[in-house]
Amino acid sequence: MNFNEPHLDYAGISPLIALTVGICVVLLSAVFKPTKRWAPGLTTIALAATAGLLIWQWDDPKTLITGALRLDDLAISISLISILTAGFCVVLSLRERATEEAGSGEYHSLLLGSVLGMVLLAQATNLVSFFVALETLSIPLYILCATNLRREGSLESGLKYLIVGSIGSATLLYGMAFLYGGTGATNFAGIADGIARNGLDGDPLILIGIAMAAVGLAFKTSIAPFHQWTPDVYQGAPTPITAFMAVATKAAAFAVFLRFFDVALGSQLDDWQPALAALAAISIVVGNVGALGQDSLKRMLGYSGVAQAGYMLGGVVVLSESGTSSLVFYLAAYAFMNLAAFAVIVGRERETIFGDDIRAVRGLGTERPLLAWPLTISMLALAGLPATAGFIGKLYLIEALVEGDYTWLAVFIAIGTMISLAYYLRVVAAMWMRPETEVASGARPVIAGASPEADPVDPDAGSRWYIVGPALLAAAVTVFFGIIPQPLVEFASHAGAALFG
Amino acid sequence: MSIDWFIVLSALLFATGALGILLRRSPMVILLCLELMLNAGNLALVAFSRMVGNGQGQVFAVIVMVIAACEVVVGLGLIVAIFRRRIPLNVDDLRELRG
Repeated sequence: MNFNEPHLDYAGISPLIALTVGICVVLLSAVFKPTKRWAPGLTTIALAATAGLLIWQWDDPKTLITGALRLDDLAISISLISILTAGFCVVLSLRERATEEAGSGEYHSLLLGSVLGMVLLAQATNLVSFFVALETLSIPLYILCATNLRREGSLESGLKYLIVGSIGSATLLYGMAFLYGGTGATNFAGIADGIARNGLDGDPLILIGIAMAAVGLAFKTSIAPFHQWTPDVYQGAPTPITAFMAVATKAAAFAVFLRFFDVALGSQLDDWQPALAALAAISIVVGNVGALGQDSLKRMLGYSGVAQAGYMLGGVVVLSESGTSSLVFYLAAYAFMNLAAFAVIVGRERETIFGDDIRAVRGLGTERPLLAWPLTISMLALAGLPATAGFIGKLYLIEALVEGDYTWLAVFIAIGTMISLAYYLRVVAAMWMRPETEVASGARPVIAGASPEADPVDPDAGSRWYIVGPALLAAAVTVFFGIIPQPLVEFASHAGAALFG
Repeated sequence: MSIDWFIVLSALLFATGALGILLRRSPMVILLCLELMLNAGNLALVAFSRMVGNGQGQVFAVIVMVIAACEVVVGLGLIVAIFRRRIPLNVDDLRELRG
């Protein structure tokens, strides 16, 4: 009997191999005493190697593992955003309580595991690889949210995220089962073929499948009305993990959102387009209104993330090359804007007693200008003010929506932006306008985000390089791409061309 | 036998699981209900796999079982951690995070 070895394109799967090796090495390094402190360094090396291998495949689209994965520029650009965010997360996790509680090796290998899921998810072109990648992404995140074992809120957020995330996965799986039942195929192209061949246009089986898959993905991307978990989990999780979750999960989930709805369900456009547009509009309203009056900065960013997910969903709704490019541009810009804000929050959480409450940034302008500027830039960019990447990103999204005959959704984005100014500017005002009255000492008050076992106060945390560095870098990039957007536009248009070119 | 019965059964299982998550308060029972929802998907996959005559659905179902096991392990681990902190095991009492 002959054994035909399957053809494996090792170059194509090399980023996945690098990440997997990274997970094993980081986990093992924690076992041996001399290498115990190496985990952050080894994680950074693994992430850098993966990014390098991905950039090596840039502009060289290929189909891997008998059509289960497709490595094209969309997958690569989204993976790079996730890897970059994970890199920031590693730096922000230095000296983080959660890292020590959970064990540095475990913490970092779980982080790498989640990145592996994201890189896979961005490439998935098969229901099976889609589902496996989504769970590879989610399960480590459930644990990471709960790593701050001493804090009740952290455990609570982990359990909440697990329950809600699993409901999302189960719904998605049920939807996938119906799509498979209707078409007899699990790969995206086969599903599109099956719909055309069996004359299933508008068939209830397919419609149920689409609806349930969309609900499952909406849970993961925190699109209203499936967003309830977002503020709770963002607030409870260790802040570096919140930063990672907010940006990278969204990026990876939107990548598969695009690929799934374009490749597999493109022919059913008329059925799902209005539904997704309605979800986007609801998200924009619910997120922006919910963020008003939040005193916890992480909760506020959670609600703002819901609103931003609504803006980004607009890029999926129009299903065009410009829609995809503008979505990828916005995701990249969103990564930098959010990372700058979260870096500042991490710093303030460690040096004041206020946790992530808005009081923690009061008087920041005079006290720590090096942290106040990044947070200011981040808030203005999230609100979409000119000369920031957020403005250019919104501009492109609105342009794509108008081109795709969804002008009313573009109007929603504009209205949402106006509402959002109220809560973003509140943070800016707290930083620059109020004098420093309260002294960060004395008895620990009962306030949001700080429990009696809250992290110990490190009075110099706000001036450490691993806080100020990432904050300044992310803010500088936000401004840079706001003034000279061309390189990022180029990057994003490659991603758009990969799917539609 | 028609495939309808399998799909009806799987829909019933899915609805039971979803209702259980909404109505029950113990995280243990909620985990059980999640399993029920995933297994409803598995049943549908296997039934459809027989119907369309290829094995892809069955392979998918086996992989889903592995993933479901991973989820339960993490869920039980979190429940143990919460139990050790002497927090009441009732999802209604998990209300430190709200607003």
